[in-house]
Amino acid sequence: MTTELDVRPGGRPDARRLRGWLRRTRRRHRTASLGDALGDAYVLLLFTGMYGWALISEVRDYLGSPSGRQGDPADRYWFGIAAALAVAGLAWRALRVVGPLVVAPAAQSWVVSSPVDRRGWLLPRFVALVVAATAGGGLFGLAAAVATGAGAAPDLAGATVAGAGCATVAVASAVVVQGSPDRAGRARLLDRCLLGAGAVVALAVVVAHLGGQPVPLPAVPLAWTLGLAAVPAAVVAVAAAYRALPSVDRASLAAGAEVADAAAGAALLLDPSFLTGLAESRRWRSRGVVSSRRFRPLGRSVVLVQAELWRTVRHPSALVVWAALLLTMYAVAVALPSSAGAAQVLLGFLAVGRLAGGLRAVGRSAGLRRSLGGGDVQLYLAHLVVPALSVLVWYAVTLPVVRPTVGVVDGVLALGTVAAAYRAGTRPTMGYGGATVNTPAGMIPVDLIRQVVRGPDVIGALILVQLFWG
Amino acid sequence: MRGLTRRFGKLAVLEDVSFGLPEGRLAVVVGPNGSGKTTLLRCVVGADRPDEGEVLVRGRRCYETDPETRALLAAALDDIGFFPDLSVAEHLELVAYAHGGAGATVAEVIAELGLERARDQLPATLSSGQRRRLALASCFVRPRRLLVLDEPEQRLDARGREWLADRLLREKAEGTAVLMATHDAELAAAVADDRIEIGAAA
Repeated sequence: MTTELDVRPGGRPDARRLRGWLRRTRRRHRTASLGDALGDAYVLLLFTGMYGWALISEVRDYLGSPSGRQGDPADRYWFGIAAALAVAGLAWRALRVVGPLVVAPAAQSWVVSSPVDRRGWLLPRFVALVVAATAGGGLFGLAAAVATGAGAAPDLAGATVAGAGCATVAVASAVVVQGSPDRAGRARLLDRCLLGAGAVVALAVVVAHLGGQPVPLPAVPLAWTLGLAAVPAAVVAVAAAYRALPSVDRASLAAGAEVADAAAGAALLLDPSFLTGLAESRRWRSRGVVSSRRFRPLGRSVVLVQAELWRTVRHPSALVVWAALLLTMYAVAVALPSSAGAAQVLLGFLAVGRLAGGLRAVGRSAGLRRSLGGGDVQLYLAHLVVPALSVLVWYAVTLPVVRPTVGVVDGVLALGTVAAAYRAGTRPTMGYGGATVNTPAGMIPVDLIRQVVRGPDVIGALILVQLFWG
Repeated sequence: MRGLTRRFGKLAVLEDVSFGLPEGRLAVVVGPNGSGKTTLLRCVVGADRPDEGEVLVRGRRCYETDPETRALLAAALDDIGFFPDLSVAEHLELVAYAHGGAGATVAEVIAELGLERARDQLPATLSSGQRRRLALASCFVRPRRLLVLDEPEQRLDARGREWLADRLLREKAEGTAVLMATHDAELAAAVADDRIEIGAAA
């Protein structure tokens, strides 16, 4: 049984009334009540607030402790600016990739493809997006200010206004870009500029520090300056985005929905392979074709290593990320010298992960291993050559800022990092049917925990080794 | 369609594709696997953006963001999504309402597509063939001047294919232009007026 929607034959229905009809009809078949939804939202907010506040407190306490205060305040300030630029660049890229306006595949197929007014259909989610960006950006700015030790009300207010304003400008501008594909090129350039600017600032501070040159603090408070500039810009951007809503096409809504679905799956099942698989597929699709080359017939394992090297050369973004992590390592060594050892291990693991794509591919696909033939161990070892070499290079170039001499501990750390990369790259496929364990975040499958900690467990042990032995 | 080009990186899937399709005629897009048939149809309906070229309807460039374009164009591609909590009949009523209709043709289309027993079923309980029929049904409960179908014969049984051929002939007779990708030579021979060959091996 369905409810009739009062429409004139041949006329175009109002988006609000159609949405209401859809909501009422869907609600009739649902078993979950509004109370259930509010309960879930409450639990989510409670845990986010609790763990978020605990994280902020820990960071604040650490930065205020004697070991956290060893770096020069001006260096740390500019590294903060570099980090903010990098976060802004990554956030802008994420907004572009996701949409930011997204419509689920079902609504795309059954509603968005109809003549229903596009602005009317998208308006509620646009309003929700802007409100979420303003609130989320403000909270992020406030949390960053609290974590870095700000205590005065004007400083906290300035950071909140700057965060809220910048987030609103970013989201509204991304909607404008979504509605005008001609601007996509310039939008792509912006995130590269932001990331590049962050890298340049960090590199300049590292070079100045290593050269013994002091870096001055800025004369004006940047948070308030940024906030005051961002508020009027946010108003203009939101108005422009509202005007752009009718021009947001189905292609951009579909592309974003794919990413949003993958991200939701990754978050719900704590399985990042949903998202990384899609990102990898898109990365290679954007490349399209390559020049096929003949392998040098130097034996089975060497051929596999050649394939691994070609993969890296064909998409050098892994090397760019590797270099960015190296710069981060130097920045940590300058700003927080007492944490340099732990950062060396942790960032080294992240860096080697960027070059372990082949290991992950053979690790998660039994079919691929069967088609390549030979033993699994031989395949894994062949795909571990490039990651292992990258670990050696990593420890060689980061050692000068961590320890004055080379010792046995460095060999242990390098071997351990390779072992961690091996464990992370050879994770078996996730199984959800096994035993579950009751945690503060609800019932979680044991296999899921095993999956998440496989690799990072070795890194945790190595950080302890480094702390007590390094 | 004029000069349509779609590239993925350096790979040109479609290169300068142009053709015309008068009202009341049916054109089949043919080509080997990977020749870009689905990409072509996705560009026509606006589910994908071409890198170059344009789609013209009655001599006017059409944009997916224009409600008039969406009112003219009905499509059943392979990427259709379903609301998990709406029944078969409710999906079709939704499409009818969204196009300004009152859902009067829904029962008739459900009967024509043999979905009577499934009319109150939720999508998760439908077979792949029933889902395909539902996707096709969504094109027939609303007004249309251009019908775009991607391998509509897929997952249909022998009777379903007979019905499809008959329905496409009726669509043509009513003045609807039909653009269809198919690998079914028998269906193409029965209904096609024009062939659009794409891909190197075509």
